[in-house]
Amino acid sequence: MEQLIDTLKSQIITTLNLEDMSIDDIDTDAPLFGEDGLGLDSIDILELIVLLERNYGIRLANPAEGKEVFKSIRTLAQYVEKNRKK
Amino acid sequence: MTERQWKGTTYGNNWMHKWLVRLLRVVPLEVMYWFVAIIIMPVTYVVNPNRKYIYAFYRYRLSKGPLKATWLTYRNFCMFSQVVIDKFAIYAGRQFEFEIEGYEHYKRLATRPEGFVQLSAHIGNYEIAGFSLKAQKRINALVYYGEKESVMRSRGHVFEQMNIGMIPIGQGVDYVFEIASTLSRGEIVSMAADRALGNSAKSITVELFGKATRLPAGPFLIAAAQSIDVLMIDVMKVKPKKYKVYITPLQYDKTASRAERQRQLSLHYTNELERRVRQYPLQWYNYFDFWNDYTTYTPHANTD
Repeated sequence: MEQLIDTLKSQIITTLNLEDMSIDDIDTDAPLFGEDGLGLDSIDILELIVLLERNYGIRLANPAEGKEVFKSIRTLAQYVEKNRKK
Repeated sequence: MTERQWKGTTYGNNWMHKWLVRLLRVVPLEVMYWFVAIIIMPVTYVVNPNRKYIYAFYRYRLSKGPLKATWLTYRNFCMFSQVVIDKFAIYAGRQFEFEIEGYEHYKRLATRPEGFVQLSAHIGNYEIAGFSLKAQKRINALVYYGEKESVMRSRGHVFEQMNIGMIPIGQGVDYVFEIASTLSRGEIVSMAADRALGNSAKSITVELFGKATRLPAGPFLIAAAQSIDVLMIDVMKVKPKKYKVYITPLQYDKTASRAERQRQLSLHYTNELERRVRQYPLQWYNYFDFWNDYTTYTPHANTD
């Protein structure tokens, strides 16, 4: 799980062009949205949805689960581990 | 920029909207148009500060003289009032005639299992696009969450009859999950690409009418990120009870990098938008300082 978390952090940094950040700067349990955490906006989330599909073959079919899945890096990693197709 | 994002609501209160719908069930459309043009619009023209942006559009983006630009601004207000009346007329059960150009592009995509994106703009009467297209698959229109209850209720009632759903855009990110799941179900997502989308400030700089301006990145990213087919749909008023629908595929190289796909898509969108507005100059309804140049007017000819 820890390896997947680091991989996800690295992919998020690349996808969202967070060049001034390293994986150590991202708190695994901090919220992805809002000012307390990474502060991602709606377009960032859209990019992460595409990342999940491209890298892990996961399509987010149920919008209701989206907010829970994208709560933090840890919840995202747990979802990827459970649902990944590649 | 003075006001990049629309406040998300139609002018007037719920009571006014209800009465307008009731009135439109009995009063001929032309009577309403003339009443508004002669009685209401002269007052609106004087008190509405948005006239300066539209005036600047005609004066400096379309290079019209001062008198011509003033007259076009007044006619633009009148035309806008007509398309708003038409929107409520549809809620009141009125029928309009639609002529569709490029319907084959829509049918080709609508009969495939994959979803696609429809882009429009705040020109013509984009909200009634869905009424003109016999939806072979469900259309999901992005609408502003802050819209009046009466408009949302009327809209919802009419939309459901036409197999059109609504994805309300609020300040949160829920609508992004709705868009993603809608497309993965093979449905259509429809949105205007010339206004800010949700809470994202990300934008793309494009050249439109000879000067750089910003468009929201979201609509182009939604399509380009997953190499989804895109149609541009413009619904332009051509007669009191007739609209012409233009359906144009926005081509882009799906093998290019994502940034390049996004760039090509926004370029084709702006080219198409400019072409359509030049064809129907009275139907440009972006009532804010779109080029961020209101205080520093720059004549079109000197901007390059």
